[in-house]
Amino acid sequence: MLRMILVRLALTVPILLGVSIVAFGLMRALPGDFVLAAAGTNTVSQEVIDTTRRQLGLDRPIWEQYGIWLQNALSGDLGTSFATKKPVVSELLPRLAVTAELTLMAGLTALAFGATTGLASARLRGRTDWAVRGLNSLLLAVPNFVIATLIVLLFGLYFPTIGIFNYVPFAKDPLGNIVSLLLPAISLALTVSVTVSENTRAAVLEVSSQDYVMVARAKGLLARTILGNYLVRNALTPVITVTGLQLAALLGGSILIETIFTIPGMGQYLFDSVTRRDYPVIQGIVLVSSTIVLLMNVLVDIAYARVDARVSYE
Amino acid sequence: MSEPAPRPRHRGQVMVAVGVAMLATLILIMILGPSIAPYSPSATSPNSLDGPTAAHWLGTDSIGRDLLSRLIVGGRGTLTITFVAVALALTAGLILGLTSGYIGGKVDLIIMRLLDVVFAFPVFLLAIAVVAALGPTVKNLILTIAIVYTPAMARVVRAPVLSIKRWDHVEAARSVGVGEFAIALRHVLPMAISPILVQTSLILANTIFTVTALSFLGLGPPPPDPNWGSMLAEARQFMELAPLTVIGPAVAIVFASLTFIVLANGLREMLDVGSR
Amino acid sequence: MLEVRDLTATFNREGTPSQVVNRIAFDIAPGEAVGFVGESGSGKSVTARAVMRLAPEGSSIAWGGRILFKGQDLLALDERQMRDVRGRRIAMVFQDPMASLNPVMTVGQQIDDMLMRHMGLSQGAARKRTIELLAQVGIRDPEIRADDYPHQFSGGMRQRVLIAIAVSCQPDLLIADEPTTALDVTVQAQILRLLMRLRKEIGMALMLITHDFGVIAGMVERVYVMHRGDIVESGQVDALFADPKHDYTKALLAAVPRIETARRSA
Repeated sequence: MLRMILVRLALTVPILLGVSIVAFGLMRALPGDFVLAAAGTNTVSQEVIDTTRRQLGLDRPIWEQYGIWLQNALSGDLGTSFATKKPVVSELLPRLAVTAELTLMAGLTALAFGATTGLASARLRGRTDWAVRGLNSLLLAVPNFVIATLIVLLFGLYFPTIGIFNYVPFAKDPLGNIVSLLLPAISLALTVSVTVSENTRAAVLEVSSQDYVMVARAKGLLARTILGNYLVRNALTPVITVTGLQLAALLGGSILIETIFTIPGMGQYLFDSVTRRDYPVIQGIVLVSSTIVLLMNVLVDIAYARVDARVSYE
Repeated sequence: MSEPAPRPRHRGQVMVAVGVAMLATLILIMILGPSIAPYSPSATSPNSLDGPTAAHWLGTDSIGRDLLSRLIVGGRGTLTITFVAVALALTAGLILGLTSGYIGGKVDLIIMRLLDVVFAFPVFLLAIAVVAALGPTVKNLILTIAIVYTPAMARVVRAPVLSIKRWDHVEAARSVGVGEFAIALRHVLPMAISPILVQTSLILANTIFTVTALSFLGLGPPPPDPNWGSMLAEARQFMELAPLTVIGPAVAIVFASLTFIVLANGLREMLDVGSR
Repeated sequence: MLEVRDLTATFNREGTPSQVVNRIAFDIAPGEAVGFVGESGSGKSVTARAVMRLAPEGSSIAWGGRILFKGQDLLALDERQMRDVRGRRIAMVFQDPMASLNPVMTVGQQIDDMLMRHMGLSQGAARKRTIELLAQVGIRDPEIRADDYPHQFSGGMRQRVLIAIAVSCQPDLLIADEPTTALDVTVQAQILRLLMRLRKEIGMALMLITHDFGVIAGMVERVYVMHRGDIVESGQVDALFADPKHDYTKALLAAVPRIETARRSA
């Protein structure tokens, strides 16, 4: 088990290294732009450009720059924001927490909704199956930012008194915070719920045809016992795994959702930084979220392997 | 116990037919574009932010431009970027996937590990970062989308190639002196076409999302060219004044993605491709 | 005890019905052991499942005729009543012990849930009985093993557990559908001996389904030979072995060269 974890982690290292090179290279590939953006204006004297270059260490060879950047990043220093002149890490962390909460809520919503429709689709078959699969195709076709826009339109125009679009910080009012994230989480969850639903359907169908379900029926057990202890408990493992692997999609989607609902998370931070061409921030966010996604995938793999020892025969 | 369901293959054919009809509609609008639009997409009128009227079926935007015309012409932009980008990703994916799967060994290892790096990024995040770095022009948008979807494409091509290259007919072709390049192209690739078709269709749907989402965030093709994503963003901005202007772009985006999802699902059932 | 008359089973595949059991009739007396022999596809498993009214998951199957169990027609019961018969009055052991246990529940839990469902036992009482049952089917250290998961058991051990599940509520009839086919030869004999012993201890009837005449020998008193959904021959097992009437029975017997050795080991 430990060996498997170590191997899995070791395999991730070269990918992480590649990710860091891309994150670094992406922003340095810009012809001259980097310095101008750092200086915060488009018309500066050659003198200013030269000083800025020296300050940022841009006069050194590119691989040396990368080395320094990577070393700093590993020790938790992602550079300084061009716009605010504050360390990127200190600005990113509180926003990351907000995005993590939103993502978690969306993930759980997607799991609950998708597992329910998938289960209904597999168990009831016939018309229900058709209805669920049709709904899934439609949900997949409605991008999350369109859903979010329509939700904002609906609630903002017709139920303006609810005032759910004002983000409430968790520290100030935990319950209000969760309520304020409810609609954003739902808009973020719907697309992902399709994947969960389809996988639940497949998993339940697969489990239903297993001999042990037939044995359970031959035992004369109640339908709800068979459903809970035999079908759902066995189908849930692959479904939770798949939901965990949707983190990348959720993180990507959070950029749009946070912008639409004005939630001060990492996504909105990225959007603002892109508009301001705040390259160190973009770099930092790209690096941090890719690392999180990669580690999450490793975690899911390990968790699955643990359960799998119990699940797999022979 | 349960009512008889239509046979999957037949159901697939129906879905593909519907998908093709939807696609034909999209392509027709794309080709005819300006010539069927009732107004010029940039012609302004004093009636700004009107709801739907007889003169302007979908209403007008903040400077009185006809939304239907902008939607039609904007579709051309959105779809062109989508098709060209996916064609590029498909080409790159075919080359990389076929090389990787057919040659195997170290070449396979190196290509797949490199693609893993790109794969490790959340697609939309990477797209934003690349567009931010390169600047939001049509060319860069196409390039970005091609880059982010190439790994997925390459993987889909590689998987079936790995097994097909061991089939008897490949060995037979080799024994009569057919060159490796010709074998890969004529005897291996055609066998792998079903999953590639399904995946391409799904990626087309994803690309519609990425293109319109980027434009929605203001990272799409620069104005004044109309674009579904930026139209939705603008409609959202003036939502309180003209709520119904949201409908046009929203429906257009959903229709386009639905086209490719219906096509993908239909092809999957018709060609009997495993769901994953 | 069991009287089956005019039993038919019809599968409905994509709108086209196909009958796999054609109006067969058979009887099983209390405590009697009866064998059903035939190749795969002969309809013997479908017949066995008809008695339990178990359709394969996701397929639609229609049964016709009458299955009288202690004078009551099982085909006339509603699903709720049938659930009280399954496991409690008629129990079943299946072919593949590797796939027949729920991988995410402990072995003990899978016997407990049966006892709690039918015998109205509390959790604690059920577990006590479960441990007795595991001991009865020859599992060593049953107190400890009850908390193990199925993957920690060998194939033969799992079949013992499944037999323990089946006999836990002391049914009147045990249906064993190819109970040894998936097992090693040495283990096969042990499992058959176990079935024989439990049949005597509990005094239940046994309906043994197999494709292998070697398994039947020494296990049952009477045999029904099934072929393409029909019962083609039936009779006392010794008489049938000595003088098979039907060509199909002769062919089946000829296909079992190790019949004598199997009989001895069983």
